[in-house]
Amino acid sequence: MNNHEQILKVEGLNVYYGTTHAVQNVSFDVRRGEIFGLLGPNGAGKTSTLSAIEGLLNYHSGSISVAGNNNKEKPLHAKAALGVQLQSTSFQPELTILEILQLYAGIYGLSLSKEQLMNKLQDIKLADAANKKFGQLSGGQQQRVSLVIATIHNPQLVLLDEPTTGLDPQSRRQLWERIENIREKGHGVLLTTHSMEEAQSVCDRIGIIDHGRVIEVNTPEALIEKHRDEPEVIRVSRKGRITLEDVFIALTGTDIRS
Amino acid sequence: MEINIPKTSTVFSSLLRADFTTQWRNRRSAVLALLVPVIILISWKGVIKMFGGAFVLSSAIALGLVAIGLMGYSNSIARDRDKGIFQRLRVAPIPDWAIMISRLTVQLVMILLVTLCVFITGYYVDGIHLSAVGYLLTVMSALVGGAVYLSLGQMIVGLIKNPETVNSTSRLVYFAFIITGMLGGLGVLGKEAKEIAHWSPYGAVQTILAGSLQPDLWKSETTTALLVTLGYTLIFAFMGIRKFKWNTK
Repeated sequence: MNNHEQILKVEGLNVYYGTTHAVQNVSFDVRRGEIFGLLGPNGAGKTSTLSAIEGLLNYHSGSISVAGNNNKEKPLHAKAALGVQLQSTSFQPELTILEILQLYAGIYGLSLSKEQLMNKLQDIKLADAANKKFGQLSGGQQQRVSLVIATIHNPQLVLLDEPTTGLDPQSRRQLWERIENIREKGHGVLLTTHSMEEAQSVCDRIGIIDHGRVIEVNTPEALIEKHRDEPEVIRVSRKGRITLEDVFIALTGTDIRS
Repeated sequence: MEINIPKTSTVFSSLLRADFTTQWRNRRSAVLALLVPVIILISWKGVIKMFGGAFVLSSAIALGLVAIGLMGYSNSIARDRDKGIFQRLRVAPIPDWAIMISRLTVQLVMILLVTLCVFITGYYVDGIHLSAVGYLLTVMSALVGGAVYLSLGQMIVGLIKNPETVNSTSRLVYFAFIITGMLGGLGVLGKEAKEIAHWSPYGAVQTILAGSLQPDLWKSETTTALLVTLGYTLIFAFMGIRKFKWNTK
């Protein structure tokens, strides 16, 4: 397996909402066995970029290729190679966890027995919750179920949109381990997050996006190293130690975005 | 690594199973759709002598169809869109039409159930007997009539994003159909209202249902009503599909 193989290639992506140019000539790639973090303030263009990759958004120009499949020319092939955990995942509230798993297994063309589905729930320590409704689970449990569904078909690329938002530290750490396990299996992971701690801890490379443009793409360490002596980074730093957050704020500004 | 596109039949059967389970667990709207026509049939027993069995049966079926299209279908679509359930489904390798066809299939089964309930209640409670051709034609007309209200429901969710507004609008339209359709159709609201009610989406469907119940009495006006019904369906569906957004943001 070639770990430098591009599993996702975004080239010159442009997204417009009316006259607003939300995503401007964005290019980046995600490689096999890599966790790539897409960071940006609110309204920077992260979700629009992700939506375009997921095939939920009709982009104006550029190209997106998932596992070698252009998502405009071969949308079903591109989607089949993708596993997605949306920011606010919602499943039919009337269905039990087991039924939701059964639904998504079927949608991805898998015929899994009840025992196999229960094993999936056992893996995330939720076998006891098989007959519960999704809304009856805690935030951490919901995220675990969402992640299992996102990876049920063994996708080559997993998209995670702010996967740890609202989770307690224990659940967050557990989710990080699960995301790292996905990487160990040779899949590519693209995640968006507002947590710089998360980005620094789990991401192999980071792309910083602001006002619809990618400003920097590099490893967290290289980003810190590159910018650590810049006056703006030193000015925003706290407690005398330069972190990824300091670099991020220096690059994207201190203004609060709506 | 090879990418497997799931078979349409596998995808569709999974969607159908989930949609039927959802419908079963969310029985309130289904019971309403079944109960209203049955109550009408029982309470209108005395009207049969005055207006005939065909009028009462066709009114009951038409009201059941309105409830399915407006109260059941549009509200479930608006809710699932608002909750992001469609977005979650759409990131999977399934065509958008499969999601909607599965939803519509559930509603078509509901239409058949309503029609069957009306037939059984009409037979046992009101003593209304039809010929085999009459039953068959009425089932087909119910499907054609149901399509009008499903497309009207689609138009409502196409034009309105907020699920609460969809809910109140569909209730309002449902109520308006009851008033103009039933009272207007009976002539209680005057001659002009009767004429309007006759060619309204409710009246046109009721006319084809009444014509199907008594195939021997099918006349040119019934054929015109059938064409009007198809016209309504095309207009509502065109607007509903054209304006429909899969998410509310």
